[in-house]
Amino acid sequence: MNMIEFKNVTKVYEDGNVALKNVNIVIKKGEFVFLVGPSGSGKSTLIKLLIREIPVTTGSIFVAGRNICNLKASRIPQLRRNIGYVFQDFKLLPNKTIFENVAFALEVIGKPAYAIKVQVPQVLKLVGLASKVNSYPHQLSAGEQQRISIARAFVNRPPILLADEPTGNLDPATSDGIMKLLSRINLIGTTVAMASHDKSIVNSMRRRVIELEEGEVIRDQKRGVYGS
Amino acid sequence: MFFTAITTVAITLFIVGFFIIIVFDIQGVLSSIKNQVEIAVYLKDNVTDELKTYLENEIKGWDEISQVIFVSKDQALEKFKKENEGSEILKEIQGNPLPASFELELKSPEKVEQVALRFMDKDGNFIEGVDEVIYGQNYVQKLFSITAIVGTIAFLIIVVLLLAAIVLIFNTIRLAIHARRKEIEVMKLVGATNWFVRLPFLFEGFFEGFIGSIISVVLLYFLSNYLLIRVEKAIVDTMHIKDLAILGNNNIILYIYAGLVILGGLLGIFSSGFALKRYISV
Repeated sequence: MNMIEFKNVTKVYEDGNVALKNVNIVIKKGEFVFLVGPSGSGKSTLIKLLIREIPVTTGSIFVAGRNICNLKASRIPQLRRNIGYVFQDFKLLPNKTIFENVAFALEVIGKPAYAIKVQVPQVLKLVGLASKVNSYPHQLSAGEQQRISIARAFVNRPPILLADEPTGNLDPATSDGIMKLLSRINLIGTTVAMASHDKSIVNSMRRRVIELEEGEVIRDQKRGVYGS
Repeated sequence: MFFTAITTVAITLFIVGFFIIIVFDIQGVLSSIKNQVEIAVYLKDNVTDELKTYLENEIKGWDEISQVIFVSKDQALEKFKKENEGSEILKEIQGNPLPASFELELKSPEKVEQVALRFMDKDGNFIEGVDEVIYGQNYVQKLFSITAIVGTIAFLIIVVLLLAAIVLIFNTIRLAIHARRKEIEVMKLVGATNWFVRLPFLFEGFFEGFIGSIISVVLLYFLSNYLLIRVEKAIVDTMHIKDLAILGNNNIILYIYAGLVILGGLLGIFSSGFALKRYISV
């Protein structure tokens, strides 16, 4: 089953900058895919298109078989509830505790309080930070904060997890921990797409690699490495 | 930020409200004075009863007149004596030097000159039986032009103040929302609907506007009850104005208060709604 499909997708920003040129990609359910390439090659644009943060210029994008390009604005939240999103800069809310930060993602989609009480500790256990429930983000290391960010993205058990440079702000040892966590999430059946320009991580994982350059797919390789 | 917004609403609406009350008060004073504009038509001593009755009926037929009171020579003297009781002047008076008169009250005081001119013929002489017509020619005209100017200026100032208040309140609420843009962004990206994000902000904006305007109304209430009423009394006492009742037992001030509270609440909601537009379209 195709989880994500880009069909002849072109994205031109309002300032005339062509971010993606006629991109065709198919990602199957349960795959783990790296999007690599230098800054400005179109990795982030690809991810932003998937959650409809920005609209496509031409072409179509399918998520779980549904064309999301002609989605009504009122249906966008529904799309996003099926896609977990991990940010490079974590985007945790500083005035909320770890529990509240993760619970936030469930409250927003209208989950009842009793379900939140069960699901949040579960996911915190999965990312290995069950003991930090009552801490605040600034009391945690960068690696721990990224785990919380992943917990928030995954607490709703979405079928797809997108990560935009999740290890971009982390040292190599911490990054390994994050990659193990993402692998585990992938093993439970979640489709994971991760943008990265961290060579050692991509090389050590030996997963599918899609390389972008100036908005075009120049390589799509199973069990690939960073540079061809 | 919650308290900043409330304080901003309270202060700006207080200033707007204070000015509106002052303006209504001034207008009240001016129109009370206006309503006291009268025309006194003094009759010659040799006027016959027939002529007097003819004049009275004639005047009563005019549309501009609300009331005609005839004061006979005797009544005029009595009134004069009453007003000057104990004064040396009374000893000087021999016989009755005072003329009989008609006191005319007008429906619309602006037409005073027009009415007064009817007692003159083409050559500028008073008509038969009339000795003199007095209506404070100079001061009446000045009063009317002052009233008009004060009214226009006051209206402009209120409009400017109101616009300033709206801009200030809008900016304060926008800043408060700007400070929480990260929260809004995350909410949107984890799949919150627009209304889920919007509703709490609209409620917050409403409460900020509502509570702020209530505070301004409470301040205005104390101010008008303890300060303005005294000023008003002083004006009444020094200027001998009757029937001046703009504050205290007048409903206008209640409408002003209600208007401020409604304005505050609506401003809060609309400011929040407009300010959110930018951040919610993620």
